[in-house]
Amino acid sequence: MAGKIGKHIAIYGKGGIGKSTTTSNISAALAEAGYRVIQIGCDPKSDSTNTLRGNNYLPTVLDSLREGNKIHLDDISVKGFGGVLCIESGGPVPGVGCAGRGINAAVNLLQELNLFEEFKPDYVLYDVLGDVVCGGFAVPIRDGITDRAYVVSSSDFMALYAANNLFKAINKYAPTGGAKLGGVIANSMKPGYHREIVDDFVAKTGTSIAGYVNRSLDVQQSELYGKTVIEAKPNSAQADIYRNLAKYIAENEDLVVPNPLGSAELRDWARSWGDRIYDIENGVVNGVAEAI
Amino acid sequence: MSNVIKNPRNGCALHGALQTVQEINGAVPVVHSNAGCGVVNYLANQRFSGGASSYSGFSIPGTAAQERHVIFGGASRLREQIKNTIKVQKGDLYVILNSCESAMVGDDVDAMTREIVEQGEPVVDTLVAGFNGGPHYGYEQVLGDIFKSIYEVKKSGLKRESNLVNIFGIVPQKDPYWQGNLNELQRILTGLGIKSNVFFGTEGGVADFVNAKNASASIVFSQWGELPAKILKEKFDIPVIYRSSLPIGTDKVQDLAEAINKVISLDESLVKDFLEKEEHTEKSLFLRVRDEIFELGLSKNAVIIGDEEQVIRLGGFLKDRLGVVISSVVLIDSLKKDEAHETNNEEELRTISENIYKGIDQKEIDEIVSSSNAEVIFGSSLEKRIAEKLNLPLVEISYPIADKLILNKADAGVNGAISLLENYITVVKQYDERKKELASSILKEVKGGESWRELSQKKSFLRQSNLITELPTREYISAQR
Repeated sequence: MAGKIGKHIAIYGKGGIGKSTTTSNISAALAEAGYRVIQIGCDPKSDSTNTLRGNNYLPTVLDSLREGNKIHLDDISVKGFGGVLCIESGGPVPGVGCAGRGINAAVNLLQELNLFEEFKPDYVLYDVLGDVVCGGFAVPIRDGITDRAYVVSSSDFMALYAANNLFKAINKYAPTGGAKLGGVIANSMKPGYHREIVDDFVAKTGTSIAGYVNRSLDVQQSELYGKTVIEAKPNSAQADIYRNLAKYIAENEDLVVPNPLGSAELRDWARSWGDRIYDIENGVVNGVAEAI
Repeated sequence: MSNVIKNPRNGCALHGALQTVQEINGAVPVVHSNAGCGVVNYLANQRFSGGASSYSGFSIPGTAAQERHVIFGGASRLREQIKNTIKVQKGDLYVILNSCESAMVGDDVDAMTREIVEQGEPVVDTLVAGFNGGPHYGYEQVLGDIFKSIYEVKKSGLKRESNLVNIFGIVPQKDPYWQGNLNELQRILTGLGIKSNVFFGTEGGVADFVNAKNASASIVFSQWGELPAKILKEKFDIPVIYRSSLPIGTDKVQDLAEAINKVISLDESLVKDFLEKEEHTEKSLFLRVRDEIFELGLSKNAVIIGDEEQVIRLGGFLKDRLGVVISSVVLIDSLKKDEAHETNNEEELRTISENIYKGIDQKEIDEIVSSSNAEVIFGSSLEKRIAEKLNLPLVEISYPIADKLILNKADAGVNGAISLLENYITVVKQYDERKKELASSILKEVKGGESWRELSQKKSFLRQSNLITELPTREYISAQR
C-alpha cells in the first residue's frame, strides 16, 4: 500500500475558510524543517499549491488524464518552496461531469504512478474541498489512503457546520479502516469570543484544537505576493504560528473518532451562542455578576 | 436490512425504454451509457422470447462512455455519437436514451438533443435512468417523453380521425406474446370498424407516433400506458379508455366494443356481424375439444404468476370458461414501493383469486406455489424447477420463456383464446403422457415371481405417481421391503 510511505494527512474545511493557505504554510514549515513533503490539492479549483510555487502554471492530473496520453510524474508535479512537491488533482469545468469521481481517479492514478515510492516523502498533505458533498470527496479519508484528517474552521457557524459534516464522514469510515481526526485548526481567530466558540464546539464533539491561527495582515500580503508566510515573512510572529502548528501536526498521535452533533443539536447549540453573542455585544450582564 | 432476491426477472428502466424503442419501426435508439447496458438487455431478451429487432444488441448505437466521460461530462461524446449515428443509420426518428451514470453526472442530454434538432434532424430524448425503476416504468416514461417532443421534430397538420385509436399498455418483449397480441388486437379493431396505431412490431412504426395526435381515443390495456395517454389527452384532448387487460374470447371482445362505443360510435350492424363470426369460430373450435376439456380435467386448481394484466386476462378466462380454480396469483410487475396508478384493479383481481401476492423473489414465489393446493402452474420458465419438484404441469405465459420461440403467436383476443386452450391442453396431455410412461416403466420392473408385498408396493407407487420425481430403481423397490 502506497500509504505506508510517509505520514498521510488530509486537511478539510469549508470553501474559502483558508484550507489552502493553512496547508501550504504547514507544508512550507515542514520543508523548512528539512522534511520531504508532497502537497496534493484535491479540489477542482486546483489552486491549493499556488503560494508554494509562486503561481506558476502546473497542469492538473485530470487535465493530463483528459488528454488520454501516457502520464509521467514530471508532467503533473512541480517542486515549489523548500522542495515541496506540488500536485493538483484538478477537475471538470464547473457544472459539468463529476468532480468527486475526478478526485477518486486522480488519487488512483497517483498510486499507479508510484508517486510515494519514487519521491519517498516524510509527509503527504491532501488539501480537500471540505463540504464532503459526495463519496468522491471522502476518498482521501477512506480506504487507508490517509490515516488522519484535520479540519480548518473559523468560528462562523457555516464553517463549523461543514466541520461537523466531516466528523460524520470520519465517524462513518473510521470503523472500516478510514482516517481518524487529528484535530481542528481554528483559523481567522480574532480577539473576543471567537476562540470560545470553537473551544466549545470541540468540547461538544469530543475533539481537540490543533492550533489557533490568528487573522493577520501578513497572510493576506504574502498571498498577494504569491508566497507562503514562511517564505515571504519568515521572521514574523505569524510564521511561528504556522511552524508550531506544523510541529503539532507532525508529532501528534492523539487521533480520535469524533462525535458529530445531530442536526437539531447543532442548531440549538448555535442558537445558544447567538444569544450569548448578543448579550456580549450589547453589554447585558448575566449570572453572578448580575447582582453587582 | 436488505434481503436477497432470488432470480429477479425484471431488468431496469433503461432496458424497458430500450426494448420499447427497438420495436418501433424506423426508430433508432442511441444509448448514452457505458458499454454493456444495451448488450445485457439483448442477451436476456434474445434468449428468452421472440428474437431480436433490427437495432439491438451489438448494433445499438451507443456512447460506450468511459471514466473520463464521467469525470468531465459525457455530453460532447453524446453529440459526436448522435452525429455519427445519423450519418450511418437512416432513421425516421432518433431516440436518445439516458443511463444511470449520465443521470448521476448530470450530462445535459436535452441540450445535445436540441442542438441536433436545430440542425433539422428528428431527435427526441428521455432522461429516465436505469435506477429510476423497472422495464414497465421505462416503457411508460420513454413513450411519455417521445410524445412530449415528437411533434416539435415531426411537424404535420392536426386532423382528427373519427375511427382511429391509440393502443397503449403492452410492453414489447416483456409480454412474450406482445407481437401476436398487437396483431390480433388490430385484427379485432379492424373488424369493429376501427383503425389503430399499435406503434410497435410489424404493423407499427414512427408514422403511428406522428399520427397518434389525430386519434379519437387512446385505449390503455394495463396499468402501464397511462402516462402517454394522459399526455395526448393534455396536448390534443384525446379521451382515454382504461381497460384492466386485453380482451380474451368473444365475450370480452364484446365488452371492449361496448367500452369503445361510449367514446366512438361504432357501426352497430358491422359490430354485430363481426362478433357473430368470431363467436362462431371460437365456439366451433372449442366444440372440437369438448371431450378433452372434461377427460383431461382442465378445471384444476391453479396458481398464476404474471403481470397484473396477464393475471386478469388469463385468470378470468381460465376461471369463467374452463372452470379453473385460481388458488393464488403472484403479480410480477416491476412496481416501486407504494407506486400508485390511475386505475386500481384490486377489486377485479379479487374476483379472480382470494390470494393475491406481489413480488419477484423466486424463493417467495416457490413457497407460494408449494403452499397452494395447485395442480397446475401458469407462469414463466423460472417456475420450471418448482414445477418439477412438485411434479406439476407448467403452462408458460409470462416473461421469461426460455424454451419456446414466440414470434407471432397471440394469447389474447379470439385467436389467443384458442391458442391458450391449445397450449393448456398440450401441456396437460404431455404431463399425463409422462405419468403413463412412468407407470409403464414401473410395471416393466415386474419380472414375475414377486411376493404379494412387492406387487402391492408397486401399485401404491402408481397410485401416488404424482409424488414421484425420479424413476424408482429395482434396488429402490427392493429396499422398500
